[in-house]
Amino acid sequence: MSWHEFLRFVRGPLFEVALLVFVAGLAYRIFRVVALGWRHERAPAMGSRAGGVVTSYAKGIGIWPFVPWVRDTFRGNAVTFLAGGLFHLGLFVVILLGTAHMLVWKSLLGFGWPTLPLPIVDFLAAGVIVAMAALLINRFTQPVVRKITGPAEIANWVFVFLPMLTGYLMTHHLFFRYEVLYSLHMLTVDALLIWIPFSLIPHFAFYFFSRTIHGSQFGRRAVTP
Amino acid sequence: MSAKTTPTQRALDTFVEETGGWIASQLEACTRCGICAAACHFYQATGNPDFAPVWKVELLRRAYEQRFTVAGRILTALGIRKRITDEDLGAWSKLVYEACTVCNKCAMVCPMGIQLGPLIHDVRAGLSAAGMVPEDLMAAVTKQVEEGSPLGVTDDVFEERIDWVSDEWDVDIPLDREGAEMLVVFSSIEIMKFPENIADVAMILNAAGASWTLSTKGREVVNFGFYEGDAEHTALFVNRVLDAARELGVERVMVTECGHAYDALRWTAPNLVAMPPGVEITHVVAVLDELVRDGRIRLRAGAADGGGGVTFHDACKIQRRGGHIEEPRNLLKILAPESFREMTPNREAAICCGGGGGVIAIKEADPNRYAAFGLKLDQIRQAEAGTVVMACSNCRLQFLDGVQHFGSDVKIRGLSGMVAESLETADEGRPS
Repeated sequence: MSWHEFLRFVRGPLFEVALLVFVAGLAYRIFRVVALGWRHERAPAMGSRAGGVVTSYAKGIGIWPFVPWVRDTFRGNAVTFLAGGLFHLGLFVVILLGTAHMLVWKSLLGFGWPTLPLPIVDFLAAGVIVAMAALLINRFTQPVVRKITGPAEIANWVFVFLPMLTGYLMTHHLFFRYEVLYSLHMLTVDALLIWIPFSLIPHFAFYFFSRTIHGSQFGRRAVTP
Repeated sequence: MSAKTTPTQRALDTFVEETGGWIASQLEACTRCGICAAACHFYQATGNPDFAPVWKVELLRRAYEQRFTVAGRILTALGIRKRITDEDLGAWSKLVYEACTVCNKCAMVCPMGIQLGPLIHDVRAGLSAAGMVPEDLMAAVTKQVEEGSPLGVTDDVFEERIDWVSDEWDVDIPLDREGAEMLVVFSSIEIMKFPENIADVAMILNAAGASWTLSTKGREVVNFGFYEGDAEHTALFVNRVLDAARELGVERVMVTECGHAYDALRWTAPNLVAMPPGVEITHVVAVLDELVRDGRIRLRAGAADGGGGVTFHDACKIQRRGGHIEEPRNLLKILAPESFREMTPNREAAICCGGGGGVIAIKEADPNRYAAFGLKLDQIRQAEAGTVVMACSNCRLQFLDGVQHFGSDVKIRGLSGMVAESLETADEGRPS
């Protein structure tokens, strides 16, 4: 098989299978959790649940990522906050606002959107790679994080890091021929998509469960979340 | 529950039984970032990574993965992931009972907003099913099941104590009065160790002309089943109070200065047992604030000024988990307008005293408890306060023991006591 044929395979049939596993696996994960049943809070509320939920999201999305020193937790977790924040920001920008990725979305969804200039996306991609390196070091040096780091966390890191790295090399035409890098990028993306349903990456979906629960718990007790 | 099953199996069965979407979705949301450790007073005070809230919940997460997730089941079947053992339960028992007050401060710093306190409570539920509750705590639970009180407040002791308080402080204390509007339930700590609280509350309610009563049946509100994490015991103890409320036909039940008991009766009981319809569960700080606002009692403004700085300690179950954050401050701003100052952090973000959640009842937990209290003492010093007021007797026990341990001369006060001695009509009838 030539690199050309391999590329056709990893961005064609394998990508489709990977997408299918990703979507079906994620749907199953969410369905499995919801199907476990929901406990009803019967205690009469003291405050507004809806108000609590709104505040919970406003703080979770609007304040937390940008004001890391709130609530005295920054000092012990500077790397987690800064590198973690840069990682998530960079990841969203690269996946959603990079032109090449937008075109993939367009082919899947049928519509596209304006994107950011390549230098900005490229800068953030480099930021993600640096942030990931910092987070990996942090995983082994910060005592609490080291304690909760196992094979699954390391595997996660590898599965996310490889597409980032190959994508970056590919954009800059470094070391290998373009179609080799493109093939490797697509291969690692496919691997990531297949891995996600088995990993703790779906936290991006369960975030909406936990933040809603948080807001509703604090809101009904008339406490600011 | 079969006696043949191993402790681990009983714990796992409880975890499975308790795991609904509410718990599962939060376990799934955890990114293992470890930020929660920065909120935990036990971790802050000791630097022991085992005390990180995320690690305390690890047992529940492992059980969840091994039972409910595809990856977890495959890895466990292949032997790659270790099965939970009885030794694990023993280790986690030390963590969740002796180094956690279930104060839920960790939930406030979690970027995902996970309610770590309730999740740790579920770890306790599993451990209690496995018989892995620390001996001291279990002895208190058993005593409450058998005698009605962890501190030995039997029928006779209760009536004797109430009689004595009534005589000593010269105050009317109605007992088993049917048709009263409000049932007042004290904690055993107040009955046995802070009897002046009973006199103070009685004096305030009498001054307000309130229709209230104590009950010999629901004579105390403390709930060691809730500390233990056992639903049956929790239900048994809340039902004693609720049955008394039903029999006396009251409209409200007022929990006095006790935090965990308030959480159990106000927020947890409705999910466990049938509540008497139309009966409101409230806390003494809310009632005191209401009496002042409605003009039913008048306080001498500035009565607590002039003796150095006064600060308020937020109890995790009454303020952060109970919502009564402003009421005590409203009162203190009347009593000590000049000298009231806040500790940092305060209100819902305050750190726990270190004695809650049953920790103070466990001798082995003493080093953790004192270490955590050290943080609180630093905050008191930084606020330059000579008096700390609180509305939780369990906190108060911890504060009294803690200041003695550290040789501090900070004065520890209950809020009801401060209000009682500042009543405009209280010039007579209070010898102390």
